[in-house]
Amino acid sequence: MTIRSSMQCRPRRVLASVMLLLLAACTREDVPGRANEPAKPATPAGGAPRASAVLDPEDGQWTRPAKSLSAIRYSQLAEITADNVKNLRPAWSFSTSVLRGHEEAPLVVNNTMYILTPFPNLLYALDLTKSGAPMKWMYNPKPQSEAQGVACCDVVNRGPVFANGMIVFTTLDNHVIAVDAATGTERWNTKVGEINVGETMTMAPLVVKNLVLVGNSGGEMGVRGWLKALDLGSGAVRWTAYSTGPDSDVLIGPRFKPFYPSHRGKDLGVSTWPGTQWKIGGGTVWGWISYDPALNLVFYGTANPGPWNPDQRPGDNKWTSTMFARDPDTGEAVWAYQMSPHDLHDYDGVNESLLLDVPWKGQTRKVLLHPDRNGYVYLMDRTTGEVLSAEPFVHITTTHGVDLKSGALQYEPSKAGHVGEVVRDICPASPGGKDWQPSSFSPRTGFVYLPHQNLCQDAEGLEANYIAGTPYVGMNVRMMAGPGGHRGELTAWDPAAARAAWKITEDLPVWSGTLATAGDVVFYGTMDGWFKAIDARTGTELWKYKTGSGIIGQPITYRGPDGKQYVAIMSGVGGWAGGIVAGNLDPRDSSAALGFAAAMKDLPSKTTKGGTLYVFALP
Amino acid sequence: MRRVACLALVVAASVGGCRREERRFRESPPATTPSAVRISSLQPGTVADTTPASNPYEASAYAQSEGQRLFGWYNCAGCHANGGGGMGPALMDDEWIYGSAPDQIYSTIVQGRPNGMPSFAGKIPSPQIWQIVTYVRSLSGLTPMTGRSARAEHMNFYQGAQSMQGAQKPKHAFRPPASEFP
Amino acid sequence: MLQGLHTQSVLDPVGPLAVSTARLWWFSLSVATVVYLLTVGALCWALARARRREQSTTEPPLDPVAAESRMTRGVGIAIGATVVILLVFLGYDLSVGRTLSPIPKAHPLTIELTGHQWWWEATYADTSVHDRFTTANEIHVPVGQPVLFLLSSNDVIHSLWVPNLAGKKDLIPGYTQSFWFRADSAGTYRGQCAEFCGHQHAKMAMFVIAEPLEEYQRWVLSQRDTAHTPLDSVAAHGREVFLTGTCAMCHAIGGTAAGSHAGPDLTHLASRRTIAAGSLPNTRGNLAGWIVDPQGIKPGAKMPPNLLRPNDLDALLTYLQSLK
Repeated sequence: MTIRSSMQCRPRRVLASVMLLLLAACTREDVPGRANEPAKPATPAGGAPRASAVLDPEDGQWTRPAKSLSAIRYSQLAEITADNVKNLRPAWSFSTSVLRGHEEAPLVVNNTMYILTPFPNLLYALDLTKSGAPMKWMYNPKPQSEAQGVACCDVVNRGPVFANGMIVFTTLDNHVIAVDAATGTERWNTKVGEINVGETMTMAPLVVKNLVLVGNSGGEMGVRGWLKALDLGSGAVRWTAYSTGPDSDVLIGPRFKPFYPSHRGKDLGVSTWPGTQWKIGGGTVWGWISYDPALNLVFYGTANPGPWNPDQRPGDNKWTSTMFARDPDTGEAVWAYQMSPHDLHDYDGVNESLLLDVPWKGQTRKVLLHPDRNGYVYLMDRTTGEVLSAEPFVHITTTHGVDLKSGALQYEPSKAGHVGEVVRDICPASPGGKDWQPSSFSPRTGFVYLPHQNLCQDAEGLEANYIAGTPYVGMNVRMMAGPGGHRGELTAWDPAAARAAWKITEDLPVWSGTLATAGDVVFYGTMDGWFKAIDARTGTELWKYKTGSGIIGQPITYRGPDGKQYVAIMSGVGGWAGGIVAGNLDPRDSSAALGFAAAMKDLPSKTTKGGTLYVFALP
Repeated sequence: MRRVACLALVVAASVGGCRREERRFRESPPATTPSAVRISSLQPGTVADTTPASNPYEASAYAQSEGQRLFGWYNCAGCHANGGGGMGPALMDDEWIYGSAPDQIYSTIVQGRPNGMPSFAGKIPSPQIWQIVTYVRSLSGLTPMTGRSARAEHMNFYQGAQSMQGAQKPKHAFRPPASEFP
Repeated sequence: MLQGLHTQSVLDPVGPLAVSTARLWWFSLSVATVVYLLTVGALCWALARARRREQSTTEPPLDPVAAESRMTRGVGIAIGATVVILLVFLGYDLSVGRTLSPIPKAHPLTIELTGHQWWWEATYADTSVHDRFTTANEIHVPVGQPVLFLLSSNDVIHSLWVPNLAGKKDLIPGYTQSFWFRADSAGTYRGQCAEFCGHQHAKMAMFVIAEPLEEYQRWVLSQRDTAHTPLDSVAAHGREVFLTGTCAMCHAIGGTAAGSHAGPDLTHLASRRTIAAGSLPNTRGNLAGWIVDPQGIKPGAKMPPNLLRPNDLDALLTYLQSLK
């Protein structure tokens, strides 16, 4: 029901069903949740050309959360395959001593594993050369405890990054810290934000050339978003690109050539806001950054405008919910595209951008694939910012698609809420069709594996009072499961055909990242604690293991010192989706956790708090 | 005798009823900070009896509804939602990290707490803080909820529930202690 | 205190809506007066005739049949006249209603008016999003131009009534109503809430200041400005008091970190003629009294008493008075 395009050709569906039956018989595995799903052939229809990506040579390490600069989260290790993954066994585990949401990815560099916990942001180094991976060192940045009070959606962190012999990471109280990877001694420590205006930091930095790129969180606190570049050697701030305000602050100059006319004009970051509202207008940068060395451009999205209540900020609210392409050397914007102008439903634009080469109308285009919170998978030419296609991957009631001529998102007027009005059945809900949880891409199948949710909501606008350092939201929200009654999905998206190839439904939102490997296995976790391996071609479940707590982390894989392939995942429920467990919220109030608790009332009976790393290997 | 008792009862009831709706607009604010508020019940030596400072508005329906309005105005609801919590802990449950007595809640608002509760000292006048205390205590039924408007609860999921009071706690809402949370 | 303040009266109309309403009123009054005089006259005549008949011995007694038919004719004529008069009233009323209800297509000015307990918030929503600004309790409009109002409320039902300019229109929570008027001559017109809305309903007043276009445009330009950072040390201290204390929890001042909308926007407080929704002239003394003890002036108002040290209060007043 969710795959619109699949409804047209029946013979293919029949064939696909037969194939699925055969597969199910072969593996003798139950395929829970897939009974009603129209299955699809393994590869894009009729041997059509499929998407590909430029791969770095495989070194068996995992040096940044997205593994590659193109953010495809694909490992060329192939020891674990679809055939033998059923034998996967836990190798060892490690307790982080923190019980909040573990959204982070562990790193593996030089036979050492690095784990960064949620607040208080402890950094562990584990020695993989020794049995049981004992601790080499631990670094405690001792962040300000008060920072927890301005972190909108749990006190998470999305991981550290390795560069130049250092582990670089952000802390909740706005420090960017570089620690010597060998010894754990601090190299530099730069404070870049202020909790008293509501700023926090949760994102994983990206190191490009000699620069550490970091952005702030706090779109629900009246924060003005920015991306900063810090010198990798010294930690000094090299440039700051704000998401709102005059062109000089946004670093829009002569090189700025947006594809669509609606994005051209002087100081749009000021003139599309009432008065000085842009100073507290959000557009924070807390998601993923990717980098194309050939074009020398970084790509990232900005978050929602604030407050959520749209009546208080008439106008397009540039440059919130916008995709930016910037020159990392100077920070200059080269192009921008606003996915959700005058966003109405907290559709941040911060989700990952996978840099792929996609056959498109007879030629191979250098694209950026961006599954947005607003429910569309954007396929954009990454040299110009042209939208090639924007197709829905979830049920959408708030908009009617994207006009590819003007680039404009077509809003449904009846879903625009105002102060004092309750609007029902807003789909997707505020966490979007898909939130921060990163997807992966396998060049072997040509599919992008999107972990996402299936949620709708009712909402009512309220007048929001801006008091610095307190929430600035102005919306009463109550979320619920979308059509079908399930709350999560994993979609295999075929970028070349711009449609879903197949979907797996999950009862709970899929709030973990996915990992694709050359063994044609895709890994992901569920919020009730199952770590799963599925067949990258068909989606058939091949293996699963129940961890101690719900999984919202990012799976990784690496080659150990013994030459074996390992898979690692953090288990520890929390985040916005798991706040009801991690924050002990009361489900009787449907507006708890900005309305997310209403959709997760049963989570406390399905999982409990935790904070453990699990590592798996073949026997 | 019986008649007198009846009369006394009627008078007492009506006077009590009056107090419930009493609006004291020009009140000289109660002592700005209740002195020596204990957050721990554990005391060294012989336990001294400490009577908590009373909330001047404890039984006032007017103060409760004013507290509800201020709870929204000052963005308390931004973190604590309509009692269910979010960035901050839930207030409608029966777990109180820093104490549920009126003076303990007052101190928590004024002083702030290190795990994220901001300090509102000098930001909210004392009578208004007491009104907020009245409302906060009503969320979990520590004071009667009659003075509250149910307006903020119309989004509530439970069918047929006019307000939170009618809503049943879900069976599966098992929640471990929250001692380490802000 | 208020230059050119007109008497708050429907009988002193200055706009097309108020004029036609006033005309209807005068027409009704004249017709009702004539009818009243005729009725009373007829009654007197009947009484006088009856007495004359009683006293007279020459006049023959009334023929009951003829009297009955005369009475029937009289009552018939009276009923007919009443129906005709009521129909005329109805027709006139409908025609006045037709002139009032359609909103002129060309309205150069749109104001979003929000009712609060107990004050008015006005946002000038011009075509350019960026040039919007918000003020309270004092609405400036250009003379001779229709002004469109989008009315809503944040708490209870209020009603906008500026008798010299137009009739009443309710402000309803969660529902936007539109309304318009035009002021045809310059002056200051008092308006007030015309729907009981709680404790201080009576002190929920506002002023509409109609001024020539150039003057109005000057005012708009000054209102679009954000507040300047004060240069003198006393006002700078006052700004500090405002931003660090209780004030900034409810009030906004453009250009500062204060951005709360619980109370009126104070960016140009000193340019306004009254405070507390038309309750007091905007003088230093009144402002001080209002800040320290608002409940003495407007019991039940949402503004709490503020205990400030004398020098802090003095500095705060200096700062607030600098917000032109």
